[in-house]
Amino acid sequence: MTNNITLMIGGTQGEGIVSTGNILIKTLSRLGYFTYGFRNFSSRIKGGHTNYIIEINTKEVLAYGDSLDILIAFDMESIEVNIDRLKEGGLVIYDSIINPENYFVRRDLGFLSFPFTDIAKKYGSCIMKNTSLLGLLGRLLNIHSQNIKDTVEETYKKKGQDILSKNFTVLDKTYEEPIENEEIKTRYNLNTSISEKRASMIGNEAIAFGALMAGCRFMAAYPITPASEIMEYLSEKLPDYGGIVLQTEDEIAAITMSLGSSYAGSRAMTASSGPGISLMMEGIGLAGMAEIPIVIVDVQRVGPSTGLPTKHEQSDIEFLYHGAHGEIPLIIVTPYSVEECFYQSIQAFNLAEKYQCPVIILSDLALGLSRQTIKSLDKNKITIDRGKIASGENLEETKLDFRRFDFTSDNISQRTLPGFLEGIHKVTGLEHSIIGTPNNYPDNRKKMMDKRLNKIRKLESQNNIDIFGTTNSSLLVLSIGSNYGIIKKVVEDYNLPVAYGAFKMIKPLPVKQLKELTEKYSKILIVENNARGQLASIIKQKLPCHDKFHNLLKYDGTPFKLAEIKSKIEEMI
Amino acid sequence: MTTVKKYQNDVTPTWCPGCGDFSVLRSLQAAAARLNLDNHNLMTVSGIGCSGRISGYLKTYGFHSIHGRALPIAQGIKLTNPELTVIAMGGDGDGFAIGTNHTIHAMKRNIDITYIVMNNQIYGLTKGHTSPLSEKNFVTKSTPYGHIEDPLRPGLLALASGSGFVAQGFSAYQEQLIDIIIKAINHKGFSFINVFSPCVTFNKVNTYQWFREHLVNLDEDSDHDKTSFQNAMNKYIETGGLFTGILYENKQMEYHERLSKKHKTPIIYQNLDISESFDKLIEDFI
Ligand SMILES: Cc1ncc(C[n+]2csc(CCOP(=O)(O)OP(=O)(O)O)c2C)c(N)n1
Ligand code: SF4
Ligand SMILES: [Mg+2]
Repeated sequence: MTNNITLMIGGTQGEGIVSTGNILIKTLSRLGYFTYGFRNFSSRIKGGHTNYIIEINTKEVLAYGDSLDILIAFDMESIEVNIDRLKEGGLVIYDSIINPENYFVRRDLGFLSFPFTDIAKKYGSCIMKNTSLLGLLGRLLNIHSQNIKDTVEETYKKKGQDILSKNFTVLDKTYEEPIENEEIKTRYNLNTSISEKRASMIGNEAIAFGALMAGCRFMAAYPITPASEIMEYLSEKLPDYGGIVLQTEDEIAAITMSLGSSYAGSRAMTASSGPGISLMMEGIGLAGMAEIPIVIVDVQRVGPSTGLPTKHEQSDIEFLYHGAHGEIPLIIVTPYSVEECFYQSIQAFNLAEKYQCPVIILSDLALGLSRQTIKSLDKNKITIDRGKIASGENLEETKLDFRRFDFTSDNISQRTLPGFLEGIHKVTGLEHSIIGTPNNYPDNRKKMMDKRLNKIRKLESQNNIDIFGTTNSSLLVLSIGSNYGIIKKVVEDYNLPVAYGAFKMIKPLPVKQLKELTEKYSKILIVENNARGQLASIIKQKLPCHDKFHNLLKYDGTPFKLAEIKSKIEEMI
Repeated sequence: MTTVKKYQNDVTPTWCPGCGDFSVLRSLQAAAARLNLDNHNLMTVSGIGCSGRISGYLKTYGFHSIHGRALPIAQGIKLTNPELTVIAMGGDGDGFAIGTNHTIHAMKRNIDITYIVMNNQIYGLTKGHTSPLSEKNFVTKSTPYGHIEDPLRPGLLALASGSGFVAQGFSAYQEQLIDIIIKAINHKGFSFINVFSPCVTFNKVNTYQWFREHLVNLDEDSDHDKTSFQNAMNKYIETGGLFTGILYENKQMEYHERLSKKHKTPIIYQNLDISESFDKLIEDFI
């Protein structure tokens, strides 16, 4: 019996490993277990080795362990590439059509041959080897076959009754197939969990779902890994709510079309990754200058250029922090868990309309694409605050244009939408007057710059870093995005006496809170996935006491291993 | 009677005296007057260039955007509030150099907006650089030895891209231009008007005089069947693109008509708070 298992399913890309992993995650989450799934994939659609690591726990888990309890291999390559990742005493389960005899030299390992393909072929078709695999895992984890059948049925119901009943037969036969090793039958049985039907999601879905609930009704986007799921979810759902998702000719159109929509009164967004965000930069600048609310998601992948499209990195931080030529008001929020992706997506729309400026949701590949069990989302936290949109009916009659960019005490002006009778004004990317007409007087220029830049400045004094762990420690470990989950796991698994925090917003940087933190902690370790310590360098620009800051960096395309973080923390405490 | 005055504001154009763009502005105002459009429901979106300034010169909502991007912005606005009359405008560089991709796809997408290109075959605002619509051998600051490329043919490109309304005007033929703009606005779908709008300062070849000598008027061509795609193609080739009038007009399914019935209510009127759907939506993930 166990509380925690790290397993990997390995095979050839395009053979159904992803949906198999997803079914397993869904089944377990519904039973109240927590899971975290990380996909290793390449830009090829079919062919090439792929694997899916799934962490299963009776408690919340946001990362996977460094070494595997179980490796399930459909082909030899999966064993070749991954055998060294198995724990001492781990188990290799392989399809009986392959023969990994050469690896039996690792005597500490258990090897279990199982006729996945044979059962699949006999009672269904070859592809149902995935279903057979689900059946075997169900047996080992001690899950009732009906639970798996329910998820399989929902996933494959579109494929028709015949396919479904074949899948069920394959499952039943898998459950009946004899396994000689008695110990294996119970070794991985999961202890019971707190039974609650939990949802599982990837970060991208959570952002998209949050956007939908926040009232986003327009999205223009251009497909890109690892951001496309946001557009895919909304493409499916938005029509039900009268909204539109449009796949544009490029990301320049995506951002500017979204801006047009937002200007006309919709809550609008776009999403992309580094290459697309680069193309959007001029449009983001326009949004800043013309004070148009807009939400832009950047799910970071490895750059520069096309980089490693399917690998993880956090290297757009400085680019976005400093980005757009000239100086614009820009907010960057940084969700660090799937739940936060949901809440912060909603918040991003409120911030964009409140401050009438672009808001970037900065995510990363590991957060965007890893499927995980989530804690239940609180629908009472969904609020829609549209900021200073004038009501069309109550506007005073005026002979002149509406003062769309009027100076106010909080530097935020009333917006009118095209179609409002008394709201006519101009918008331009040129420096402009309060009615939006081009204006190049130095006095006006300076006042307008100050108005735009100052309107978000008060966010600097908000607390936008969530702090966890042992807060009376001398060491604080800070991170953004998916690294939070890994650090949390390290600290909890190894009982490390440190505090750790995750940023929710990096622009404006929470300077006030950071100052307090540097006073409280003697060492601050900033963990990030890029080569030059981008987040650390931004922090150092704003804060003195540079000797307190340390950096742990990784930029080989893979997320941190627990051990890498653990040894750095141990070295520092 | 509604007059042009209703659409004028007090901003003085920065254009050179004699610039063809004055006439485009006046024609648009006259068209709006004859259609008796509400000022507040008229939305002009323009790019960057001398021409791009036009959206600042009307008493309407005006969005002077960035170079080459008037069309996506205009489309985003129209998709969100289809009750607005949306006019996108810009120069030949705006629409056929930096923004060509959007031009083609806007034509293909067929959203109900009107696109007026103020074509002077040169970059006016940058003070005289060659344009994709400049003639071969044209001498500019960036082509001091004469432009060695052949010009792009905007009308053929529009036809090939699926535009259901393709017309050309000339700044000096204001009555015809007003008439074309009215028809373009009334056309349900994307409409494209290429207006020969001379730059008196930097283009000393394609002058008013030059156009008067070279342009033929399709309105006077009784054989011209503007509903025939084939004929439109042939007519363009036959005239070398040097004509005014409506080349092609054929109703195609407009973008909104292609959307599902759920889109009957414009986005601008949609209820944003859907918290009652939360439980149903989260079910997908459980
Ligand atoms: C991204 C970008 N590149 C270059 C420019 C500089 N620029 C401004 S207008 C223009 C060309 C204008 O030509 P056209 O579109 O034909 O307009 P016209 O001035 O002739 O009316 C250029 C290159 C710019 N504003 N933005
Ligand atoms: S430079 Fe040419 S296009 Fe620009 S305003 Fe003067 S005449 Fe018109
Ligand atoms: Mg020009």
